[in-house]
Amino acid sequence: MNIKTEVLIVGGGATGIGISRDLSLRGIPCLLVERGDFASGASGRNHGLFHSGARYAVSDPEAARECIAENRILRRIAPHCIEETDGLFISLREDGLDFRDQFLQACDRVDIPATLLPCNEALTLEPRLNPDLLSAVKVPDGAIDPFELILENAREAEGYGAKFLLHTGITSLMLDRNLVKRAMARDLINGEEYSIDASFIINATGAWANQFLKLVGLHIDMALSKGSMLITNQRLNQRVINRCRPPSDADILVPNHTVSILGTTSVHSEEVEDFGVSFPEVSLLINETSKMIPAIKEARFIRAYAGIRPLFQSEQKGDYRAISRGFVLIDHGKRDGIQNLVTIIGGKLVTYRLMAEKTSDLICQKMGVDVSCSTHLKPLPGASNFSGLKDRLRRIGQGAPADGAEILCDCEMIGRQEVEKILTEGKLRDFQDVLHRTRLAKGTCQGGFCIYRLLGMLHDSRITQRDSNKILKDFLEERWKGIRPILWGVSLKEEELIESIYKGIFNL
Amino acid sequence: MHFDLIVIGLGLSGLMAAKTAAEGGKKVLIVGKGIGTLCLFSNTIDLLGHLPKTVKVKDGLSQWVKDHPNHPYSKVGLKRVEEAFASFLSLFPPPYSFQSLGDGNCLIPTGAGTFRPTYLVPRTMIAGATLKNRDGLIVGFRGFKDFYTNYVASQLGCRGVHLSLVEAFDREISAAALARLMEKESFREMVGREIKKHLGAETQVGLPAVLGVQDPFRVMNGLEEIIGVEVFEIPILPPSIPGMRIFNRFKEWLIQRGVTFLLGHSISKAILKGKRCEGVHILNPPVSNFYSADRYILATGRFIGGGLVADEEKIFEPIFHLPVDQPELREDWFRKSFFNNLPHPVHEAGIITDSSLRPIDERGEFLLENVWVAGSILSHHYAIDEKSREGIEIATGYTAAQKALEG
Repeated sequence: MNIKTEVLIVGGGATGIGISRDLSLRGIPCLLVERGDFASGASGRNHGLFHSGARYAVSDPEAARECIAENRILRRIAPHCIEETDGLFISLREDGLDFRDQFLQACDRVDIPATLLPCNEALTLEPRLNPDLLSAVKVPDGAIDPFELILENAREAEGYGAKFLLHTGITSLMLDRNLVKRAMARDLINGEEYSIDASFIINATGAWANQFLKLVGLHIDMALSKGSMLITNQRLNQRVINRCRPPSDADILVPNHTVSILGTTSVHSEEVEDFGVSFPEVSLLINETSKMIPAIKEARFIRAYAGIRPLFQSEQKGDYRAISRGFVLIDHGKRDGIQNLVTIIGGKLVTYRLMAEKTSDLICQKMGVDVSCSTHLKPLPGASNFSGLKDRLRRIGQGAPADGAEILCDCEMIGRQEVEKILTEGKLRDFQDVLHRTRLAKGTCQGGFCIYRLLGMLHDSRITQRDSNKILKDFLEERWKGIRPILWGVSLKEEELIESIYKGIFNL
Repeated sequence: MHFDLIVIGLGLSGLMAAKTAAEGGKKVLIVGKGIGTLCLFSNTIDLLGHLPKTVKVKDGLSQWVKDHPNHPYSKVGLKRVEEAFASFLSLFPPPYSFQSLGDGNCLIPTGAGTFRPTYLVPRTMIAGATLKNRDGLIVGFRGFKDFYTNYVASQLGCRGVHLSLVEAFDREISAAALARLMEKESFREMVGREIKKHLGAETQVGLPAVLGVQDPFRVMNGLEEIIGVEVFEIPILPPSIPGMRIFNRFKEWLIQRGVTFLLGHSISKAILKGKRCEGVHILNPPVSNFYSADRYILATGRFIGGGLVADEEKIFEPIFHLPVDQPELREDWFRKSFFNNLPHPVHEAGIITDSSLRPIDERGEFLLENVWVAGSILSHHYAIDEKSREGIEIATGYTAAQKALEG
């Protein structure tokens, strides 16, 4: 099948999706192609930290300034994707107070509100903090739901005419002199082939940037850095807790719905999909973060996961446009002679909109079109009517019919109705697509019980075209990657139960 | 209070040990903080599931003990395994009896639509062991979320029907509640009639394993009379109603025989003097009482029940602090894949004993003189992968008590 569009965006993470929203709001037709589901890369494997930028105030003021500006914008346009928890930067005895003083000054210089709190007030606000802390500074950090944010951007973009092909990979790019003339793509689930004719191509593939650029014989100097995180069984902190010292490993605890996320590490990686958390990383994360919150030593962990950061190494020749030290926008026309190809790489989740704006501005400039960005002005669709846990519980409590009220996931209180709603929204291609869009299986047992129930339900809806038990086994195998590094204590008890059910009773 | 024997643990091995000692005329206390794992994992009685159907269990076991000299079956010897099984079976006279199909394992359908090998099957599951393609009608209940009829049916190559009995329960129902409802004649007759309406040419009807707790044979028989074909139960997600039945039967028998049965009580401390256990403090908040016995049997199971406890670095046994044979590093406890041809090494961890089931150190010396160890807490078996859980529990529970009585 042949598709014609103005702009082909490759990569369905926050940046790519953000661009699809920006361009479509400007009235520019675009097609986004992503080989997995939305947020398959770093966008779906990060800390969920809604940066105030304070973390970079001392080391990278330019990046910090960008962060706080975007932080304010996102609070306006995506309040339903953000939990405004605030954050604390705490100094422990070994950190001393010198860095804290630099920190306060640096935040002031880049206009990040930073308030010094008395220690006893900090301990009242966050009772689990190390009582021996030296200092606490409050900043406007928060927690963000990347998947919801991305889905919202996509929903709006689609409303304005943007098209999406998920589970589709670009297989080749055809060059004609100094332009990419055509892209070939294949649906990785059903094998359908597409030829795509676009005037411009945007490489927003993140860590996969070089795999994509290889298709036109290009290469950028890039390193991959794995960052690992642990999820606790319960929410241990109400605010983001940061270590007030030069950015290092295991510095941050982000609260996220009903859990806390400890992070992160920085391990050089050779593989784009090296998502395994090593045992030394687990120990490092627990030992360091428990200095800030001692209760972590006794905490139960439910999952370990990792994401790959693409680290762009700045190059000698500076012919292309580098927007900030945070992210890089490469005009391959200026750099390599391919006029209609650009790469956008790096950055933080919280600056996705700015990255999309700069990329879209460049594309418009190349097109000779003079339409400005409006993504910072227009709130995302769901902003006006967001419901939370209270509403969900009320719906469950009301006398709904037997099927609707049926709870599938006891850990996260997800009912059948909610899953049915996701299924009817359509376009779900496989089992993981369903799981991405619900909190089912994200609780304590990580799907040990509810996955069986979900499969039963999906069997009737025909989403699962392959053998259901193979899907079940694939799910258990995928789940295992996140569980194996944290199996001791209570998690190990739970695992004995899960194995006894699936290998014992069910003999899978 | 002083006893001849204190059994710690309410799983199948503890229950067998208590039965064996009670039959020997001893004054027994059995104590556990929960109600054991029968109602979690056990639906049928496994012996050595991975033996092919064609192999006679006697022959298979003989070869097994030769190949696995440290396995609990090898420790106790095949004669004791046979005696222990006979003792177990005597507790379940007809009509709700356990039986094997021929001399070997049989295959029964499960709640995932797969088949699992097992050895002894209760009366209510027999027909499932002979289920042929398309001969079965699989029946489920709307509102009972732990059995997905069409899923199971399509995996088994059978037709499925999901009954809607909204008058009886309008939201959700649990396995235990459904099982008790099934014991009510009026409900059961309604179910039977509904099934009969949907029955086609099928010669068997399979239901989730909820056919009553007290009198399952009556429930099954009642349904068969109305429907007119064989009915069988299918093991599902825990809680296991068939497992509960086994627990209840043991409990009833033990109490009747004068065994002191302390449910929901945990051991807070064992008092050791040299190599002897002098007694245990049993906690039932807010009180803690001291009980003593001449002999003790540790049958506390593995991780679920807390018989073995793991911290970030190692595994330990919390009551007597017996050394636990285990892989060197936590990284080696589990393999990189969940499903493997080989089991996860951590499952082989446990307490090392001699052939009398007394805990020993690396030199083979007794660690404790008056404590015996039974059940899945023992080392050198892979109960889940071997499908040997109940067999190990029965054989070692029986043997530990015998040895304790001798010694």
